Amino acid sequence: MTLSNTTRRTFLTSAAALGAAGIFPGGVGMLRAQEGRVLNLRLDGDNSILDPGYMVGGTEIEAQKQCLPFLAEYVRNGDTFTWQPTAHVTRLEYVDDTHIEFELAPGLVWSGGHGTLKASDVAYSYARMKDSEWSGYFDALETVEVTGELTGTLVLSKPFAPFIMVTLCHGPGAIVCEAATEAAGGRFTTEFPAICGPYTYSATPGQRAVFERNPEWTGPAPGFDRVVCHVITEVQAAELAYEAGEIDCTELGPDSLARYSREMPDNTAITTAGQLQYMWMGMNTQHPKLQDLKVRQAIQHAVDVDSILAGAFAGTSAQSHGIVCPGLLGARSEHGYSYDPAKARELLAEAGVSGLQLTLRTQNWQERLLTAQIIQANLAAVGITVKILPMESGPFWEMGMEEAGDTWKELELWLMRFATVPDPYEATQWFISEQVGVWNWERWTNEEFDRLYDEGLSETDTAKREAIYFRMQEIMDETGAYVWINHEPETYAHRTDIEVVAAPSGELNYHRFRQV
Amino acid sequence: MFTYLLKRLGLAALVVVAVLLLLFSMLHMIPGNPAILALGTRASPEAIAEYSARMHLDKPVLTQFVYFLGNAVQGDLGQDVFSNRAVTSVIGERIGFSLALICTGMGWAVLLGVPLGCLAAVRPGSWLDRVTGVFSVGMIAVPSFLVSIWALLFFSLELHWLPAIGAGEPGDLADQLSHLVLPAFAIGLGWVGYLARMVRASMLEVMGEPYIRSARAYGLQPRRVVLGYALRVAILPTITLIGMGFGGLISSAVFAEIIFSRPGVGKMIFDAVSDRNFPIVQGGVLVATGFYILVVLLSDLLIAWLDPRVRSSL
Repeated sequence: MTLSNTTRRTFLTSAAALGAAGIFPGGVGMLRAQEGRVLNLRLDGDNSILDPGYMVGGTEIEAQKQCLPFLAEYVRNGDTFTWQPTAHVTRLEYVDDTHIEFELAPGLVWSGGHGTLKASDVAYSYARMKDSEWSGYFDALETVEVTGELTGTLVLSKPFAPFIMVTLCHGPGAIVCEAATEAAGGRFTTEFPAICGPYTYSATPGQRAVFERNPEWTGPAPGFDRVVCHVITEVQAAELAYEAGEIDCTELGPDSLARYSREMPDNTAITTAGQLQYMWMGMNTQHPKLQDLKVRQAIQHAVDVDSILAGAFAGTSAQSHGIVCPGLLGARSEHGYSYDPAKARELLAEAGVSGLQLTLRTQNWQERLLTAQIIQANLAAVGITVKILPMESGPFWEMGMEEAGDTWKELELWLMRFATVPDPYEATQWFISEQVGVWNWERWTNEEFDRLYDEGLSETDTAKREAIYFRMQEIMDETGAYVWINHEPETYAHRTDIEVVAAPSGELNYHRFRQV
Repeated sequence: MFTYLLKRLGLAALVVVAVLLLLFSMLHMIPGNPAILALGTRASPEAIAEYSARMHLDKPVLTQFVYFLGNAVQGDLGQDVFSNRAVTSVIGERIGFSLALICTGMGWAVLLGVPLGCLAAVRPGSWLDRVTGVFSVGMIAVPSFLVSIWALLFFSLELHWLPAIGAGEPGDLADQLSHLVLPAFAIGLGWVGYLARMVRASMLEVMGEPYIRSARAYGLQPRRVVLGYALRVAILPTITLIGMGFGGLISSAVFAEIIFSRPGVGKMIFDAVSDRNFPIVQGGVLVATGFYILVVLLSDLLIAWLDPRVRSSL
């Protein structure tokens, strides 16, 4: 028996060539990222809980924004952020300080035959949020009055200026289908019981989540037919995948941002989502070594923040002037002290302090350790010896909490970074008097600060509100307990022909991406 | 042989229990409240209490261990803290990827390392022997995570020959194979060196035995002497090494899975440790330990089957 014109040698050669083509499809298949209208993105982990009431956050919010209705969404206005009604509503407006009326767009249907999107779904969703793990976002909401099949009113228990920005635009503001959620037992995890958004959702754990056009969606068409989100845990691995052409957009770490800024890869642009993180060095005002205001002020004057920004963050982040982040109401352009080592030495002399030895605690991350080392050198220059204590996340986040032990008594200096939402109230809440021993590790109290905090929540006049947050940060400066360091940005590298839309806290909104 | 098998199975069960006990102790030595670490620093006290009760964190460590063992014997490894999915399902989705990676990595290492070792032993002192020696030591010395990064940078970023991330399109075998090449290359490279050195050393020892001299004296073909007589004996310690090597490859696979963003049990355990998702950590370690013990057991049984002297040594 023979095979026509096939010798053993030609057979082996052909088999090897076919095998190589299968195993090495590169060269012809590697640039598939841009084929058609498919968008390839990164997920930093599997979405474990899609239910807005019990989610972890992050990419789970990204998934909700594609598949569930929201009443409002973030929109960039120059350097600041504001809100606009989503495609799910035709009207959303304050009628007075405590009433927000909405009207849903007609004809939007839930998947799985669960009928149309109704005002009762909004009432159901927000009522269950008040009993959920994200209930804090709904503290100000008293009830949702359903006034028609598509209309209703959100009734607040007290004036709460940031309700739309902080709650309705963010993940907790997602609306679920009452019928489908109840049929699923009242909670859900890795699958939506019903969707009503531009995309459907499916996921292969450990590998990818895929968003495809929802055939039942009658709202504005998304920019891409299919969005494939590859699970890439490490940001550096995602950067390599981007450079290899396998994804179209990825978050950048500080080092890569600096590298890209110096030498931008071909066909790449950078978009900054927001800078909603604030980092500072805190001082325990009740510690015997730091009780004297002059000592704390000396430390403020001794730290060269410009060197930290250049040395630890490669010049990629903005200098901080307080807890209110850039782009938000109340963000400052200067603060109440300056880098002045001579002044620092003078203050220490006035306080009668010499040979001061302090411990600076920080999480054991590269940028933090570099920051700590620069501070160590700065303080050494004015005669203060600093011992750096790198810590793992677990004990670090408990060290100022009174209920977690006695470490708070030993706290002297520490590097801290908080993330916040696009309204100044959230950042201020951690420093009121009742937070001493909880999150106010600097352990100061101020009646004016507490009063202004309450006023800031209910004040709806923008100018007055801004003045409130300016004054609150001045009070913080006056405690001498803070050295403001920076606001790290959420930045994304992406192909130049893609317009990236991200929330100020960094969550991507795929259905608003556009090919340009 | 049956008694030998029973003794080995008993030992294997003891090792699994000891590993799990050690793991439990280590998990509880991690500083910080696991509930706060898992739920976030601003979780409500109610959520923390509910989590602690659900995970039995409010019970003594030994009680938690007994709970876990009892359920594990019944095939219940608990539930993922976040998604509430069964740990067995989560592991089931990933173990195939890990097995494919580990077996491919060891497979190509055996296919290359054993012949290289034989050739080097057959012609000791030749240029082939020397080159093999140098490359073997070089391959052993370079850690697999470094090979992973280098391979990714060179073959994916520079040459664009092979994909950089993932495990390939589900259902597309060619795509999945192409995604397997670089990680398998990275974790197997060091084992080429190990196996070549091991086989060479064993072969040199066996080649000096009187029965090999006799075989040669009878005029048997050199290939038959090497493959049919010398290698059959010299391969025995190599089988043990390969069995133990699977343990090393489980560790190497963690790095490869992270660097190449491949799904797998190693990466799953790594992520779960970061998230303090203890049921996943415990289930993953149990499966990895079980896999390792199974491979070592199989290699021991294979050796015992090939060499009757071993059976009486336990």
